[in-house]
Amino acid sequence: MRTLEYLTLDGFWQAILAGVAIVLMCSLVSVLVVVKRLAFVGQGVSHSAFGGVGVAAVLAAAWPAAGHPAIEFAVIVAFCMLAAVAMAAASDRRTVQFDTAIGVALVGSMALGAVLVEASRRVAAAVGSVGFTPRSWESILFGSLFPSGTWDLALAWAMAAVVAGSAWLIRRPMLFWTFDEPTATAFGVPSQRIKFGMMLLLTVAVVTSMKLAGVVLASALLVLPGATALRLSDRLGAVVALSCAIGLAGLAAGVVLSFETDMPPGASVVLVLAALFAAAWGATARAGRAPARA
Amino acid sequence: MTFTYPGAEAPALERVSLRVEPGERLGILGPNGGGKSTLLKLTLGLLPLHPGGGTIRVFGRTPAQARAEGLIGYVPQRAEPELALPLSVRQMVTLGAAWRVPPWRRVPRETRERVASLLHLVGAEEYADRPVGKLSGGQLQRAMIARALAAKAKILALDEPTVGIDAVGQQRFADLLAAVHRELGVTILIVSHDLRAIVAGCDRVACLARRLHSHVSPQGLTPQVLAELFSHDVAGVLAGVHIHAHDAATCPDPSHAHPRLSSTPDPSAPVQVSISGRGDGHKEHP
Repeated sequence: MRTLEYLTLDGFWQAILAGVAIVLMCSLVSVLVVVKRLAFVGQGVSHSAFGGVGVAAVLAAAWPAAGHPAIEFAVIVAFCMLAAVAMAAASDRRTVQFDTAIGVALVGSMALGAVLVEASRRVAAAVGSVGFTPRSWESILFGSLFPSGTWDLALAWAMAAVVAGSAWLIRRPMLFWTFDEPTATAFGVPSQRIKFGMMLLLTVAVVTSMKLAGVVLASALLVLPGATALRLSDRLGAVVALSCAIGLAGLAAGVVLSFETDMPPGASVVLVLAALFAAAWGATARAGRAPARA
Repeated sequence: MTFTYPGAEAPALERVSLRVEPGERLGILGPNGGGKSTLLKLTLGLLPLHPGGGTIRVFGRTPAQARAEGLIGYVPQRAEPELALPLSVRQMVTLGAAWRVPPWRRVPRETRERVASLLHLVGAEEYADRPVGKLSGGQLQRAMIARALAAKAKILALDEPTVGIDAVGQQRFADLLAAVHRELGVTILIVSHDLRAIVAGCDRVACLARRLHSHVSPQGLTPQVLAELFSHDVAGVLAGVHIHAHDAATCPDPSHAHPRLSSTPDPSAPVQVSISGRGDGHKEHP
């Protein structure tokens, strides 16, 4: 068992604990993402991170101090949030369809990211930045659980606390808005603010989980746990608890699979979660039970 | 009150003046495109009234203030809630009032008791703990009426409440509204192009086809009144058959209206829509 060998590696438990925070945060948000049909929005936001990574890389090349992980994280969150707000604003004004707006932001940000990451190398050479290396494409795309430092662990748990705390604070109007947006608006629920808050939670969750799953797979963590849990129960409390449990099971099994087969951990976790969804779907379909349209 | 949608050439509502008394059950009848839902949205504050377009007062407040205070309970037309969200009927109804409760506080016992009594009143008690996604259309509508009243609304506004409901269901719905009115004493506004829904559930009818064409009791909906409001299918209406939609522009000019009808004959007269209150006259459900 190679997994047992990994248990004694330096930084193993830090990486696992960071993964636990990320999975719990995403599992919580995923219930709302699935119900509110924001899966494609999650794709748009996560791929917008390409552009954010590019901007952060150029800044770090020009000013080495901007290469601190906290600044990089803030830049990527800000970029993704701008993209999310632009997508929502474009669709609100009915100038373009929402899926078109997401598609444009997605491909535009990816292209911008590609250009800026290359530009960062030239900027670093021009200003004589020593030791500057932009993130590799592989790590941007698919993430990497290792190496994980104290900073990654602190960031993951801090963001998980922010997301869980914010969701708890606005849980009642957010549930009303999620369930029936037009009626909630008529009741006085501040729909625009709730929508903005939801996008912010989504963005923070996506950008934080990029470390584990990468740009491509980050949005999968925001869909699969909730979608699986919604197949298994029709009680809100149970669905949230199941979603978190499924996320944690996917993390544990995915990490073991990754160690044993020497595959990328992010992709392994997502594969396990997808298998769990397929199993839940098959089981509920055979039982003639369709608790949700997830 | 006059309202024109941005970019539209003709107003959706033109010189509409209407007063609703507290505790009254008013039906707003008219063809599709006649401005019924627009009037309701303006009253709810979901559409902004343009400067100079007149005034709307709900218990002496602006629509936005009334909405913020939860004075109007709204049951939308063709509600399409996200039924995938695993809420029970009780949770959904409670949200109608509880969304205002500060996050650090539990939902007050008074609210929970009121929700229980409303579920009993609308006949949803037996499926109160069932997931909303497993309700029939009629059951969901009952739950939505309970939700609309959960925050102690003084006005219950229903937009096309009988669309897609058969004759038996419509009678049950009329009985339900009568019970709600009897027990809670709320003002009821029903916006519909379905004559049966209006006749069964209202004390008074406002006929709206861009302008206010009549203002009569349900018994006053004579063939002549209906012929003026709807350009065709009057025989069908009188046979109790659903009224077909038609172009609002074909509605008669109010100046040619039935003698019973009232519009706003004097262009200089002040125009307003007003739903005024009797203060604390709202009955509390036991």
